[in-house]
Amino acid sequence: MNEELDSQLSAMFDDELLPAECELLARRLSRDEYLKARWGRYAIVGAVIRAERGVRLNAPLAGRVNAVLLAEPALAAHTAPRDRSRAPVRWWRPLAGAAVAAGVATVSILWLRTQAPLSGAPLVTQLAAPGQTTLPTAAASGQGDSYVVPRPRPAAVAVPSTELANYVVAHSMFSTPVARRNLLSAFMTSESAGAGTEEPQSDVKAIAQ
Amino acid sequence: MSADASDLSLVRRVQRGDKGAFDALVLKYQHKLVKLVMRYVRNPAEAEDIAQEAFIKAYRALPQFRGDSAFYTWLYRIAINTAKNAVVSRDRSPVEYDLDRNNNDESYDMQGRMKDSETPEGLVLTDEIRSTVNAAIDALPEDLRTAIVLRELEGLSYEEIAAAMDCPVGTVRSRIFRAREAIDRRLREVFEGGLGRAEELG
Repeated sequence: MNEELDSQLSAMFDDELLPAECELLARRLSRDEYLKARWGRYAIVGAVIRAERGVRLNAPLAGRVNAVLLAEPALAAHTAPRDRSRAPVRWWRPLAGAAVAAGVATVSILWLRTQAPLSGAPLVTQLAAPGQTTLPTAAASGQGDSYVVPRPRPAAVAVPSTELANYVVAHSMFSTPVARRNLLSAFMTSESAGAGTEEPQSDVKAIAQ
Repeated sequence: MSADASDLSLVRRVQRGDKGAFDALVLKYQHKLVKLVMRYVRNPAEAEDIAQEAFIKAYRALPQFRGDSAFYTWLYRIAINTAKNAVVSRDRSPVEYDLDRNNNDESYDMQGRMKDSETPEGLVLTDEIRSTVNAAIDALPEDLRTAIVLRELEGLSYEEIAAAMDCPVGTVRSRIFRAREAIDRRLREVFEGGLGRAEELG
């Protein structure tokens, strides 16, 4: 027998062998009857040195335990059913995940394509704020870069009020006649445009609720 | 060096279904366990039965062993509990020789020895093994004997022995191995002769 192997066995018996070497030797020890017998004799030597009186050094205890355990299933068999049921899941789980991700990506691309104009207008136009109006005709003609014209937002229009009108009139001395005229003109225009869309009662309703 | 690495590697093998690895663990710890159980029962044969039961319990519980403690510590606890339970159940059951035990302690000892006498060749062989090992140890060179005794009797690690003997750890490993080899040569002869004699008796 290899002396180095026996030396490793002695070190392993004393828990003085490197874990990686232990793994290899444990595998061999569990199968090699010669090594196992030597291992058993090392234990006997230790028992004699420690003067373990009353202990039968040739007791067939290991054989008796082994005989009982022969009738029992190996430990791995206890967990085998669970492992078997989980094993397929383990290998196809990443594939399923990848398939779902790919499906989501495909649907997203298709959806974007159906939303996009056939002309292939730049995406930035499509993603413009909802409150903005696009001019697809200019883009479609290919005559220049697309651009966005802000739609007059009802919410953005200042609600004209008597206070604002009074403020403008009161401070008219600080503005030029042209500016004053423009401001009042804009004021009149916005008031007439927003008159039909305002919902001044909404806040009141909310509070009442 | 990671403590308990060798036991743990054997335990992992058992957990993966390798019963042969458990055999190695039983061979390693059977004497220690019997000795431990004999604190609770005086009869060696009964101690062996309890140790056997403890090993089987340990085997069945091994799937739950995670290696948080050393394997022997875990096994030790199982053996202690098994021994305590055995003593309790024995005390509850009617024991024929209890009266004799009260009257004469020697008769109780005889009960234990009577069980041993079921295998007389076993007793002879045990004595022969003991005397052979002791003789082999006495015959060892001083440095080998010191190394093996510090290891087995004092339970020192190789590093501690190296410090005590003022030599490298590798030398300690070599000395202990050579000591075991020398003893094992003599021991093998006894086992082979003893087994032959036991077969003749049988």
